[in-house]
Order: sequence, then C-alpha cells, then structure tokens
Amino acid sequence: MNGEKRTWKCGKCNETLVMKKTVFSYLGHTVAHEVPTCPKCGKVFIPEELAEGKMAEVEEQLEDK
Amino acid sequence: MTVSSHKESANTSSVCPVCLKRLPAAVVRRGLTYFLEKECSDHGRFSTVVWRGENPRLEDWGNYMPPDEPAEEQPDCPSGCGLCAGHLQKTCCVVVEVTQRCDLKCGYCFAQSGDGSTDPSVAQLSASFRALVENGNTFVQLSGGEPTVRNDLPEIVAAARDAGCENIQLNSNGVRLGKDRGFVKALAEAGLSFVFMQFDGLDDRIYESLRGRPLKAEKLAAIDACAAELLGVTLVPTIVPGVNDQHIGAILDFALSKSPAVRGVHFQPVSYFGRYPQPPRDSKRVTLPEVLSAIEEQTSGKIRIADLVPSGCDHPRCGFHGDFVILPDSILPLTSKTGSSCCQAEDSHLKNRNFVARRWKRTTTACEESCCGEDYTEMDTFLARIKSHGFTITAMAFQDAYTLDIERLRRCSLHVFDNGNLIPFCARYLTPSQG
Repeated sequence: MNGEKRTWKCGKCNETLVMKKTVFSYLGHTVAHEVPTCPKCGKVFIPEELAEGKMAEVEEQLEDK
Repeated sequence: MTVSSHKESANTSSVCPVCLKRLPAAVVRRGLTYFLEKECSDHGRFSTVVWRGENPRLEDWGNYMPPDEPAEEQPDCPSGCGLCAGHLQKTCCVVVEVTQRCDLKCGYCFAQSGDGSTDPSVAQLSASFRALVENGNTFVQLSGGEPTVRNDLPEIVAAARDAGCENIQLNSNGVRLGKDRGFVKALAEAGLSFVFMQFDGLDDRIYESLRGRPLKAEKLAAIDACAAELLGVTLVPTIVPGVNDQHIGAILDFALSKSPAVRGVHFQPVSYFGRYPQPPRDSKRVTLPEVLSAIEEQTSGKIRIADLVPSGCDHPRCGFHGDFVILPDSILPLTSKTGSSCCQAEDSHLKNRNFVARRWKRTTTACEESCCGEDYTEMDTFLARIKSHGFTITAMAFQDAYTLDIERLRRCSLHVFDNGNLIPFCARYLTPSQG
C-alpha cells in the first residue's frame, strides 16, 4: 500500500505490477483494457471493480438474448 | 389422397380457415417447399406454404422439440385462450390496445378499426397497467388501431410509467408523429421508451399499394421527430411479394444510415387476417428463409444469414434476430459468434425483454455521434459504442387461419391483454376466412 493508491506485487516474481494493455476475449470478440501486469511473467491482476463493472457490462452486451 | 411427399416434422394441430374448428395438421415437404396441411370434414382440404428453400433448411432452424405428451393432454388451443397451464412460454411483451380508431385504411393489418366509442379511459388503462405490473409484466406495447389518434396518449404513457412499466413501446404508423412535434415531445416527457413504426419501404408506390396513399415523406418526418426527442425508432416493414420483397436491402441500408436514431428493422412477412373470399395464393406469401436470403442478397452480403439466428423466446419458426453494433465504417455482427440460444430456457422471456429494451432504447452516452478514429477494440469505447449504436435485425412471422400451427402458438411470448386475460398474439387476431 502506498498512500491511498494501492501498488501490487506479483506473488511469484515479487515484481511491482505495471499498467499494461491486455486483450480480453469473450464469445469470439476481443476488447482491450489496461490492467496491472507483472513485467516479468506477464500475469495480470483483475481488480474487483473492473470484473464486476465494465467486464460484466461487456459480457452482458455480447451475450445473446 | 395420394401425394408424393415426405413428411418432415411431427404432426401438429391447426384450425379450419373457414370455421376455425381445431384440426390435426402436418408440415409436409414437397421438393424444397414445406406446406402446412389439414382437412376439415365440412370445408375440405387446405395446404399453405410455410417454408420455401433450404437456406436455411427447416430441419436446421432452431432446436425446439415439442413436449412429449398424449394428444388428450394438449390444451384446446386456440379456443378458450387466455394462457393456460399448457402454454409453453411466459409473457415477454404485452400488447395493450388503446383505441380501435385509425387514420389509415390499410389492406394489410391485423388490428381492427372502429369509431372510438369503445376507447378505454385513461383510468381503465391505468388499472390494466397496474394489474400487468403486479404480475411482473413490465413491458407494454401501446397498440390499436393507431394509438396516436388519441390526444391523451401522453397521459396513457404516464399512467403506464406510474404503474411501474419499465418499457413502454408505441406501435404507430408515424403519420401524426411526423407532423406534430409537440405531441412527440409530450410522449417522450411522459416516459415513452421507444417507437415501433410501420415502414414498408422508401418508394411511395409501396405505400399506395399497402396503405392506400403515399406516406414516405411522413415516415421520414416521423423518424426525425423521434430523433429530436431521443426516442429510438425500430422500423417495421410488412413484406408482401411483388410489392416490397425486392426492397429489403434498401430498407436495411436506409435504417443503418439512420443509426443511432433508428435502432433496428423488424420484418413481418405478410399474414392474411380478415375477410378473404378465396384463400390467399401461396405466391402471395413470403416465408422466413426467403426473407433471410433476401437480406443477404440485397445487402450484397453486408448482413449474412449466418448473422441471424432463430427466435429463442418464441418458436424458432416464428422469427429470427440478429444483434449488431454499427461502427463508423463497418457493421459488427454480434449474434453469430455467441453460438448460444436460450430456446426453451426458463427465463428466455426475461432475457428477450431485457435484450430488446437495451437495444431499442436510445442512450445519451458521449458516443452518440460518429467517432471516426476511435479504437473500438478498447473496452471503454466499445462499451459506449454498443450502447449508442446497437442495432437489431429481427422478424416475426405472424400466423393466420391458414398457417396457424398450434405448436408454434404454444411457444408465443407476445400476448395481448384482453379483459384481464393474456392471449397469444396470433390467437387474439385469428379470423376466419369470411372475416
């Protein structure tokens, strides 16, 4: 934790995560968004507000009725 | 009777077009064409085309399986409708007739027309809306007649809103909407969600043939008037062979060019209600696969059959839908990639209700206008664009006394509110051939 802004480290590499554009696929479509990423191993962290917010919204929009 | 045919589907039931008596029926294939066939002991044998061609094949269209039940346990549709325990789908949208009057004299219309003496009062309609909402029916279509002949239509919309209706659709020919902007504004302010507008093409000869007079200018004015109030408009062409079946591509091109004001196109292959001294010839009918093929051919492949899938809310042979997002220089199909179908799912009526409301309602996001140069693969811009420029291509093949298939009727999710009962649309407007 650093002040009000959280910084995250990769549990495996112990590297500080950096914001990086990542491509998400759902039902054959892809969209990109910047998420915290380990600069060494490339693993990403999906913040809860993104998962329950915009990502859920994209899923809803793409899902068939 | 000897026919060299091959019966492709399970037997179903229908009615005699003359006396409306329920009859056993079968869908029978001859070559690449399918007919609904039935025989009345009093009025003879009837055979009516219901599917032409194999793109797509009827057998490949949807995954619906009728329930395995003995004939004696089947409900006695369509007599005695309201919905009964034998109905196989819940209510998605409810049609509420607010008047029998109309300002057009169309040859092709399921609705009746009258003198206004039977128009329900706002108080009566308000009670109907409350009764519907109490049962979870929050999506209403204000219909008629032509609803806009009522000067108190904004009060009716407000009554629906105050009762708790979440989506309030106006079914209109657009005539008054195009010439009375104050009325459109009042409707929007009262809480109208979106407009389903009769729109048969861009050539006045079509309107002269189907609606009795030229109407193109009035239709365009109506679209502009709704756009000014951020009321989404879905265009509803009745497709009639020899009249506008060659105009399907032009209608789509126009609708796409009017996005986001126009939210989609809803095709309705012609059905024959009312008095017909002779059975309508098969050449006067157009079937779903023909509409699908015409969409692909007449848009030069811009919209493909593969982008359109069978109705998941109603019976597959009742219609199709396709979901798209309009980008500045292309159309991105969404439906075909999902590979999903909620056909027969328990909550398919709710999914459909939410889907159409999401697409047909206009939003006021920042991406209302063209955003050339934006990267639509980026999550934020994609989300904004799909909300502002979502677009649907849908169809519904209404059934008349010749084509009525009880298996299809039992899957109907579009119901008409009539004296406290919910009646499947095609049962409500079913008329014998003598009117």
